Amino acid sequence: MTGGLRVDGAGVAVVTDLGRSRGPAVGLPVNGALDQYSARVANILVANSEGDPIIEVTAFDFAFTAESDLLIAVTGAPMTLLVDGIERSMWEPVSVGAGQQIALYEMAAGLRTYVAVHSSFDVPVLLDSCAPDTVAGFGVILTAGTNLAVREVGPSIVNPYFDMSLFNLDVMIPYVGGEAVIDVTDGPDADQFEGTRSRLFHAPYVVTAKSNHIGLRMTGQLPVRTSTDEVVSRGVPVGAVEVPPGDELLVLHRGRGVTAGYPVLAVVTPLALDALGQVRPGQHIRFRHTTVERADENVRAWRAHLDRLRQRINTIYACLGIQSLVEPGQLGSVDNRSEPTLEGIT
Amino acid sequence: MSPVSAADVLIAACGPAAIRVSGCSGDREQDWRVVHHLARSLARRGGLGLTGSIPTYESVLIEFDPMLVSATAVAERIRESLDAITPDEALSSAPQTFTIPVLYGGEMGPDLDDVARLIGLEAEDVIRVHQESNYTVRCLGAPGGSPMLDGPFPVPVPRLSSPRASVPAGVVSVAGRQATVAPASAPGGWSVIGRTPLTLLDLTREPLVPYAPGDRIRFTRINEETFDALSGERLQADGATK
Repeated sequence: MTGGLRVDGAGVAVVTDLGRSRGPAVGLPVNGALDQYSARVANILVANSEGDPIIEVTAFDFAFTAESDLLIAVTGAPMTLLVDGIERSMWEPVSVGAGQQIALYEMAAGLRTYVAVHSSFDVPVLLDSCAPDTVAGFGVILTAGTNLAVREVGPSIVNPYFDMSLFNLDVMIPYVGGEAVIDVTDGPDADQFEGTRSRLFHAPYVVTAKSNHIGLRMTGQLPVRTSTDEVVSRGVPVGAVEVPPGDELLVLHRGRGVTAGYPVLAVVTPLALDALGQVRPGQHIRFRHTTVERADENVRAWRAHLDRLRQRINTIYACLGIQSLVEPGQLGSVDNRSEPTLEGIT
Repeated sequence: MSPVSAADVLIAACGPAAIRVSGCSGDREQDWRVVHHLARSLARRGGLGLTGSIPTYESVLIEFDPMLVSATAVAERIRESLDAITPDEALSSAPQTFTIPVLYGGEMGPDLDDVARLIGLEAEDVIRVHQESNYTVRCLGAPGGSPMLDGPFPVPVPRLSSPRASVPAGVVSVAGRQATVAPASAPGGWSVIGRTPLTLLDLTREPLVPYAPGDRIRFTRINEETFDALSGERLQADGATK
């Protein structure tokens, strides 16, 4: 028996994952979900591995029909989720039956919504990742009529309990919209902006329409480079804050070319990169200075939250008698667990 | 044979998920070898949390997952690897050579005449110098694993004042004191002097591009007929069986 879904309507939607970590060493950007937290949570909610292929919906409405019974979860930017016309909640597992129509519309804030399906999708991979690479011309772009096969059709997961939210999963739901606060650490070349580097923190920046998965361009008070030495091309990290010639600040995201010749003023933290993945053109953002140590603490708290969510989900599926959904060994390894805080996620 | 001296490298945090190691020995060739040896050594040793390295000319960006490993632990691994590197050792004991056919000028190389004017040569001399030079692949860059090459002109070539929104795959270009050939279509601010009919990037194979840092590249001039005849063939090392 085969199963999956058929796309009925899509604006900008792709199948992606957490990224192509083997790419940068051979000149390909890492790419992958621009809000990694939401992507991981969606997969956890349907008992997938966090790095399984997932649908990333950008800005526009998205609709599909289930061709078999599916367990889905929708996370990320808030949208109205309808299953056969009945509104259902994001950020929790939703069971849909074969033939039912799923519609996501009116993204209220933020920019990217994620749809995970239990057992995930059977899609091509390049260097172990399905993440689209626009430069290499690789990836699954979803349009009306696209069929996506799930890897396996398990036991029927249609369960009456799923029609109501019986479980308090306590998922941290990131706040999107409004003025986003973006944590940055000092970049390795911050001293090349001596005297004006603090401008980064003085006033908000406005994200311009020229922003995409490669990077976000922003207008505002620009720090000025004091040295004029030509920088030879070198590896730049995702999150690099640069001041190229012109009147805009450039913040590189996961689609960034792996090498560049501009000095790196600051680097956006991993959690703040997720927040940037939800920022729309025209939105204001404010940079906040942090340290690598503090950023690490936040990442560990975030990891601990994901691990606890995984445990709760496992317990719930076990209680429902669908233990087969739960695969062993999916807990992330964390040696230093601390209470999760909303800090850095908001 | 001494290992890399601590004074010859600079190890700097590059945010919470990357560390930049730069060579500062004063010897560009040595710095280049050291950062590439370091990238290869870290890849060979593996280890939890290291996601990859981007070695370029005199520096290497080492990326890691801060959920799995601390920056301090990564820096420690970097120092251990550096201690085991011989800076004089060649990157490859048997570098491959690739010959890339190029149709210069005209529609395929719209900036050839501008480059000639900017560096004070005749267009024919630009072509001659470009194809007489021997190039070493310094690193793989954007887009799609471009071979980054030194030279070949004695004076730097300025970047285009207005970059092109898209240049096709196969474009042969120069900027500053660098040269390259693009495996994939992408926006570009470099001067385009020609194009190769060969395919460099093959998503169905590993490695995706056939050359590696340390390999040699030379360019050879072809005419339109040869361009059409070779169109779509894959680039292979000289001497490789077709």
